[in-house]
Amino acid sequence: MKKITDERLVLQNLKNIRIAFTIQTLGILGILGYDLVTKGLEGMRENPLWLVFIITTIISAYLSMSISTDHEMNKVNPQKRFSISLIVLILISTIVGFFVSFTDGFNITDGVTIGGILFICGLIPTFYIYNLRKKRQNQDMEE
Amino acid sequence: MKIARVEVDLTQQQLAEKIGVTRQTISLIEKGKYNPTLKLCLDICYAVNKTLDEVFWIEKENEYK
Repeated sequence: MKKITDERLVLQNLKNIRIAFTIQTLGILGILGYDLVTKGLEGMRENPLWLVFIITTIISAYLSMSISTDHEMNKVNPQKRFSISLIVLILISTIVGFFVSFTDGFNITDGVTIGGILFICGLIPTFYIYNLRKKRQNQDMEE
Repeated sequence: MKIARVEVDLTQQQLAEKIGVTRQTISLIEKGKYNPTLKLCLDICYAVNKTLDEVFWIEKENEYK
């Protein structure tokens, strides 16, 4: 099969894929919604489609981060923003961890574990966006 | 663009093959129904031996008409 080089057709192809993706997502949401009603939250999460849906959402969120950084109107200092995000993240994980350790049925190890997981989960996107901003800042300097 | 193409004696099909797009795309550009990228515009200009200005320039419409 010959590779499509016509830019108009490439663009049209992307638009078609977008339509297919929308329909697919609606289908997945429909199936998951049906599972939620008939089998409850646990039943819905047992469905492998749930994993597909979550992974797609995460990937789409990461991809849109690069668009958001380019869309930012005012120039931001990546280091400063990174420090602010880090402080907020540490605060949130500490507070959540603190409350978990004092909840009935949980001990201090659970609190530290949950706080730690929350911190790592938040650190990855924070670091990713820091890198994107830094890359953009370097590009701006080259200009 | 159509005039420039006819001047160098090319059919839509020949021009399309020369720059590696489909005939339909050339036809849509000539009708003004597709907005080509600058890269494609340049390729078309090279193919018909004209400048961008000569092939694609349109005077800005007067808003107070």
